[in-house]
Amino acid sequence: MASIAIDRGLEDPVYRQVADQLRRLIAAGALGSGTTLPSVRQLAGDLGVNLNTIARAYRLLEREGFLVIRDRAGVVVAAPAKEIEGPARARLLEELRATLARLRQAGMTTEELLTAVRREVAVMEGSKEIDDE
Amino acid sequence: MSEAVFVNLALTVRVLIVGGFLFFLPRVTRVGLLFGAYVGESSAEGDAARRLLRSWYRGCVILTVLSLMVGYGISLAGRPLAGNYTGTAVLLLGALGLYLRTYSRARALAPPEAAQQATKAAASLYVGEPRGAGLAKFALGFSIIAAVATFAYATVSYQAMTDRSFVAIMFVPGLNLVLSPTVALLALFTVNAKRSIRAGSGGGSVEAQDAFRATMVNLMSWTALLFCTFMTVLSVQIVRLGLSENASLGAWVLWTAALFLLFLIFIVGNMVRILKGYGQGGARLEQAAADAALTDGIADNTRWVWGLFYVDRDDPSIMVEKRFGFGYTLNYGNRTAVLFVVAFLVLSISVAAFVLIGATR
Repeated sequence: MASIAIDRGLEDPVYRQVADQLRRLIAAGALGSGTTLPSVRQLAGDLGVNLNTIARAYRLLEREGFLVIRDRAGVVVAAPAKEIEGPARARLLEELRATLARLRQAGMTTEELLTAVRREVAVMEGSKEIDDE
Repeated sequence: MSEAVFVNLALTVRVLIVGGFLFFLPRVTRVGLLFGAYVGESSAEGDAARRLLRSWYRGCVILTVLSLMVGYGISLAGRPLAGNYTGTAVLLLGALGLYLRTYSRARALAPPEAAQQATKAAASLYVGEPRGAGLAKFALGFSIIAAVATFAYATVSYQAMTDRSFVAIMFVPGLNLVLSPTVALLALFTVNAKRSIRAGSGGGSVEAQDAFRATMVNLMSWTALLFCTFMTVLSVQIVRLGLSENASLGAWVLWTAALFLLFLIFIVGNMVRILKGYGQGGARLEQAAADAALTDGIADNTRWVWGLFYVDRDDPSIMVEKRFGFGYTLNYGNRTAVLFVVAFLVLSISVAAFVLIGATR
């Protein structure tokens, strides 16, 4: 059963930690489309964080197309888009380029970059367990 | 049966139930917790913990015997009621002292890192069903309507009474007005109580807590419903007797005692059933997952005062699982929970003042 963990001691804001983990779980198929997530109140209570923190994480993922927020049904994992439109695709690729540039600047070699990308893709395809690095 | 025998019997039953409950409580708490302190999963089953447990068992037996001896002694001196109250007070105050002493010794077993506020927390994405919300809402609505209506009925009816004590007429409706909606509202709060999981337990821990929480919501809702019904019927009967001259409670005393006894059996029976089948917080259901460490609120000693009061202003949970005891407790750092406590105190004082001031007129 999927779970998430946060660390308030990290520099990364808690809402981003929550969003990142949910994004990875959805991409890896651990949370399939149509899966209902706990309500903002329940998840915030379980984690002991402010309601706005979880609401912000859910809204971010909704904007990114990972979640659908419905009034009655709650928060549900969205179905993957059939095809990505031109400008959206260009924007995501630009984000990927920026991330790769930051990693290169941080000292990763080309080989390390490729290994990391292959590993993430393998995780998404379900051929490897998610690691918690 | 003479009054003294009846009072002593009541004391014996009460002391044995409370003493027995305290005796067995450490056996049904979640692994890792020891007398209100989080000491870690391995320490909780070590030699030092076993010594503490033995000391607790001895203390419970001594307290039970002592409170019975004090109660019987005062009763034999010709004051059975005073003996009943004193025996009960000895047990309760003694239990508090024993608990605080054992708690402080348990805290010393906690790992050094437990002295600092935990920054890590984990939560399951298992939605479960916040079960029991419908019953809790019904219990709340029913108890508010029934208790308010009965209180108003008793107040208005008293105007037509002659030679009756206002306190005697209003005591039961007043108690009903304060207690029944309070228990029902607590049941409603418990529907969304915090779930403290064991991270990496594969979900066994959160499922156990969901099951325990649903059972507790049902028990509290039914308690509110039955208590309110009992008190409402009793209030109406008291008013009717108050309105009729030369009337006495007569057979109603027996009926009331029998119904109240059934109510107590319902409460105690269900507590035993839940603690035996589920354990506190689902402890018994999650035994297979107990190797994984507890996380967040329940495992953070800095958020608990004496292991009894949970205080965390950042935590939006109104109710959290008790570390030592049965069921759930309030998060005293939560604004709604504090408002609830204040409202309860204001209501209690207002009803008491209304009855006492009315009695002097």
